[in-house]
Amino acid sequence: MENNNMMGLVFSGNPEVNLGEIMKVRSLAAVPVGGKYRIIDFVLSNMVNSGIANVGIITGGKNRSLSDHIGSGKAWDMAKKETGLFFLPVSEASSGAIKSFNGIDLINSAMSFLERARQEYVLVCDCNIVCNINFENVMEFHKQHDADITVVYSDVGELSSDRLKSSVLLDVDEDGRVGDVQVNPLRQKLKKDYMHMFLLKKDLLIDIVGDCLAHNKHSIEKNILLACVDRLKIFGYRFDGYHKAINSILSFFEFNLDLLSPQIQSELFGTDTERAIMTKVKDSVPTRYGTEAEVKNSVVADGCSIEGKVENCVIFRGVKVGKDSVVRDSVIMQNSRIMDNCKVENSIFDKEVILLSGKKLIGQQTYPLVIGKRTIV
Amino acid sequence: MKSKECVAMILAGGQGSRLGVLTKDVAKPAVPFGGKYRIIDFPLSNCAHSGITTVGVLTQYQPFELNTYIGNGQPWDLDRNDGGVYVLPPYVSAEKGEWYKGTANAIYQNIGFISRFNPKYVAVLSGDHIYKMDYSKMINAHKAADAAATIAVIEVPIEDASRFGIMNTDENMNIVEFEEKPKKPKSNLASMGVYIFTWEMLKKYLIADENDPRSDNDFGKNIIPKMLSDKNRLIAYKFSGYWKDVGTIQSLWEANMNLLSETPGFMLDDEDWKIFSRNPAMAPHYISPTAEVKNCYITAGCKIDGNIENSIISSGVSVERGAVVKNSVLLPYCRVKSGATVEKAIIGTNAYISKGCRIGEQSKDAIDDFFDPNICTDDITLVGADVAIEENLKIAPGSMVTRNVKRAKNMEITAKKTADTITA
Repeated sequence: MENNNMMGLVFSGNPEVNLGEIMKVRSLAAVPVGGKYRIIDFVLSNMVNSGIANVGIITGGKNRSLSDHIGSGKAWDMAKKETGLFFLPVSEASSGAIKSFNGIDLINSAMSFLERARQEYVLVCDCNIVCNINFENVMEFHKQHDADITVVYSDVGELSSDRLKSSVLLDVDEDGRVGDVQVNPLRQKLKKDYMHMFLLKKDLLIDIVGDCLAHNKHSIEKNILLACVDRLKIFGYRFDGYHKAINSILSFFEFNLDLLSPQIQSELFGTDTERAIMTKVKDSVPTRYGTEAEVKNSVVADGCSIEGKVENCVIFRGVKVGKDSVVRDSVIMQNSRIMDNCKVENSIFDKEVILLSGKKLIGQQTYPLVIGKRTIV
Repeated sequence: MKSKECVAMILAGGQGSRLGVLTKDVAKPAVPFGGKYRIIDFPLSNCAHSGITTVGVLTQYQPFELNTYIGNGQPWDLDRNDGGVYVLPPYVSAEKGEWYKGTANAIYQNIGFISRFNPKYVAVLSGDHIYKMDYSKMINAHKAADAAATIAVIEVPIEDASRFGIMNTDENMNIVEFEEKPKKPKSNLASMGVYIFTWEMLKKYLIADENDPRSDNDFGKNIIPKMLSDKNRLIAYKFSGYWKDVGTIQSLWEANMNLLSETPGFMLDDEDWKIFSRNPAMAPHYISPTAEVKNCYITAGCKIDGNIENSIISSGVSVERGAVVKNSVLLPYCRVKSGATVEKAIIGTNAYISKGCRIGEQSKDAIDDFFDPNICTDDITLVGADVAIEENLKIAPGSMVTRNVKRAKNMEITAKKTADTITA
């Protein structure tokens, strides 16, 4: 059901995330993934599929590709009269003052959008945790537990020290009550990983944000979750499905190649649950395989022309792979062209890369080679 | 309402009976084509690219799916504040109500609709042809000649000319005579079913035609000959490029296969003239380690574990391990289970080909109850939408399977077959 009294707020960026070359030309939200999607498609589709009809996207710099992608919101059925998809650019004045991670300031910059909305609840999400989640279940959980704030988390095993530094771990008791929040801990004591999505009443959020700013506090995790853990009823909703946080080149690479598992693919794209992930339509033709093509274990979007050999790859729309070329274990973005007789392994090609005939590019599984947008090799 | 220079009317009301079971539940223009398109995408995309923004689609036969598909016209940029696409079924007015009796009558019944836009010209288009054409160039030719009607023609081999409506012209492309399927064709210029009329003139002829009880109310049979006999200026507009009437199973199959030929007559992949369609929200397709794909088109939502050769695979299709699909067209969401083979066939939307089935195989124990040489010419096998075929059954080439096929013990197959001939 639409109009379930929930609105959405999405951060299009995250200062802690660096995808290097790939983010030179676009914001995190607009990073292409999975053959035809952008990172933000997942959270937007999850919201739409959960009946959320009013969503604000808080944006910083490099918005061209994001605004081009989102357009009027039609692709998500969000081109509406009173609700829909709203771009909320952070104004120059406030962004100038902001250096580090500053979720609360960003929410504050969306204050008029929040105040104007008619929905009673607001769901605040990062865009770079990719999964297929039903937020209606989160809402139901929230009401059942009479929670003030519900955070979404997943169970994790031992985290690497690198991962740990950027994680927020939760202590959640049997009833789901959050007792402790550890922000970027040095040592891992908890195994519940916060997924950067939380739900609460809009008026409560407005109130807390006002308080925090009045006390010069800026972090959602430290100053909202951790600071309120005793004062408010914070509950944790456990998400058990597939999810991946895209916060480095490697996790970006791994996420794309995860899609080569049919189980992950069907779960993530909601094939059986009718909770499809929507994206901007390109009207590409179907993909053409040539008489010499040899393709194994690959995800291929529309509009490609494959003459050579492709194995364990994610191939975006409009890619051409020439005769006698071999492409393995790689992610090739939109409209890139690999001419004849090339060899590509463990590489990430950004959009519109051209690899001239006979060239070889070999990366490593743990350190993929990244070729920037429009590079001619 | 602002005046429009040209309004297009797409004739989409034909039953398409020669497409057999494919048009059992859908009108011909809604039949899937080329992996992710419907036939109507072609004239609609042509309109969008030609700058014609007011389009009426005349439907009457099984309109539900076509209407849903067209919707508000957004995929073709035809969701307009002023104009746009309109689905026009026959309706009942104060005096009378009736089905569209013929092509001319269909336009006649919508004189009111067209007049609202006060156009100078009306384009009358067929809803069942595969082609890319810039109608604006044709309208310019029509204007330059100050013609009453301009008819698009294409050169066909003279030996085939007797299958078409043939235009006999003078050296200035003025039409002097129109012959429907002439036994001895005098020219090889075939009508493509694409007309531009000067609206005031057409309106007059439509009204006169309607008042003539002997008329078949058809453009080819009545309106065009009448305009000619009244000495109006009618010109032929020569089109060169790919054009295919997909009114029969054979021509539909051929048109799909043409997309795959070495030098494709029809370039689907054309950045400057994209064919728009309503895209379902589906993930890119997946080709598994056990798959082999050669010379084929595959689109979103497919999962391929088997072998595909020379085939068109539409959205959401799955082909399991060990299955072989050759020279075939698989329509959306159909499933080919492991070890099945499909050869020179059109498999309908959501059809289910069970394990080990052999579709289109000539052998002694193949089921030939569904043999239908009138619809399935050239040994093409056709399986209808939602039809399920039970494990290991063989279907003879040239069959049109219209219902579920089960083993003999279930008595689903007609009595004339003995049990041992149909049990695979």
